[in-house]
Amino acid sequence: MQEQGALLSREEQTKITRVLVRTAQMLAQCGAESRLIEQTTCRVGAALGVESVEMAISPSAVVLTTLNHGSCITTTRRIHELGINMHVLCAIQRICILCEKRLLTTADDVNKHLSEIKPFRYNRWLVVFMIGLSCGAFSLLFGGDWPVFFTTCTASAVGMFVRQEIAHRHFSPLINFATTAFIATSIASMATVYHWSEQPYLAMAACVLLLVPGFPLVNALFDMVKGYFNMGLARWGTATLLTLSATAGIVLAMKLTGVWGWNP
Amino acid sequence: MMELLRAIIFDAFWSAIPAVGFAMIFAVPPRMLKYCAAGGAFAHSLRMLQIHFGIPIEWATFITTTLIGLIFVYVSRRLLAPRPVFTVASIIPMIPGKFAFNTIIAVLSMNSGGVTDKLLQASIENGLKTLFILFALCFGLAVPSLFIYRNRPIV
Repeated sequence: MQEQGALLSREEQTKITRVLVRTAQMLAQCGAESRLIEQTTCRVGAALGVESVEMAISPSAVVLTTLNHGSCITTTRRIHELGINMHVLCAIQRICILCEKRLLTTADDVNKHLSEIKPFRYNRWLVVFMIGLSCGAFSLLFGGDWPVFFTTCTASAVGMFVRQEIAHRHFSPLINFATTAFIATSIASMATVYHWSEQPYLAMAACVLLLVPGFPLVNALFDMVKGYFNMGLARWGTATLLTLSATAGIVLAMKLTGVWGWNP
Repeated sequence: MMELLRAIIFDAFWSAIPAVGFAMIFAVPPRMLKYCAAGGAFAHSLRMLQIHFGIPIEWATFITTTLIGLIFVYVSRRLLAPRPVFTVASIIPMIPGKFAFNTIIAVLSMNSGGVTDKLLQASIENGLKTLFILFALCFGLAVPSLFIYRNRPIV
């Protein structure tokens, strides 16, 4: 068991550094805000017995240094976005708490626990169904009626299916968002073409809400108010670009079907 | 009174569904989904109630998200999970989707059909609403960690 500030061998310190940077990398890849990444990594570091952990987080890489009795080890890891996964976040938080409670005391233990995390995903058809229903719920909350509800459900369920298929083939999220928005809006505009309802444009407004980049937006503001400006601006930029490409898809669909979703 | 109660229940039910749906996209662990559902239902119906009593939508959003942020401090301490796991899904039903859509359409109509006073008014009004609601959502959630948990972790 390592006490705070105990004398570690160079080899031990290297091992701890590697585990810490892996923790930070996993947190960053599954969509954690910057302060959570820094806090969690530093807590694991303190629990494993290094004197201090200093880190720089940028949108594409993390740089991490451990200090112990005048010896510094620095390492960098590249971050590849893997998609938002709150399950991984919870699992790493649990490992951090286990470390602080002295149930995990060596770098090898932590590493083993990190390797055991398998990113959890819901059944894709369940997600398609729930997202269809969610966007239908949005249309009702906007004041739509039942024909609008069913149109929105169909449009966004098909949209979600398309989004999963494109994501599965590893296209850029920008292309993905534009295509998904195009298909969902095209289907939703049928409500206007065939006069299914009094306010058919609500279907077009609600069916693309599955593309709202909620996590990048919230994380961007969290990062900026907590002082991680470059990270926050990068996330804000990502969210803006995604929204713009979804808009491009919507506009293309409206041009082609000739339905201009809203009459001022 | 009965009318208002019915509206609140309708609102709570239909806003719990998007909260769960989006929580599933974010891969929130199954045993935590019910908290997201409760958060979404509570948040949107509380905001509706405030708007009913004449509070502007931006302030109602800010008050609601601050409350959500504070409530989930306790939930996340009990379940030992970071707060964004619950809070982000809970605020999804309050995303100003209709305002954003109307802004985009008005701006595009101005581009293709010429600027009219009506279109200009619609685009600026909807655009400002979208922006302020969005800021209210994010700042409200950050309130607990900016005021109370400045130097120590929540979980």
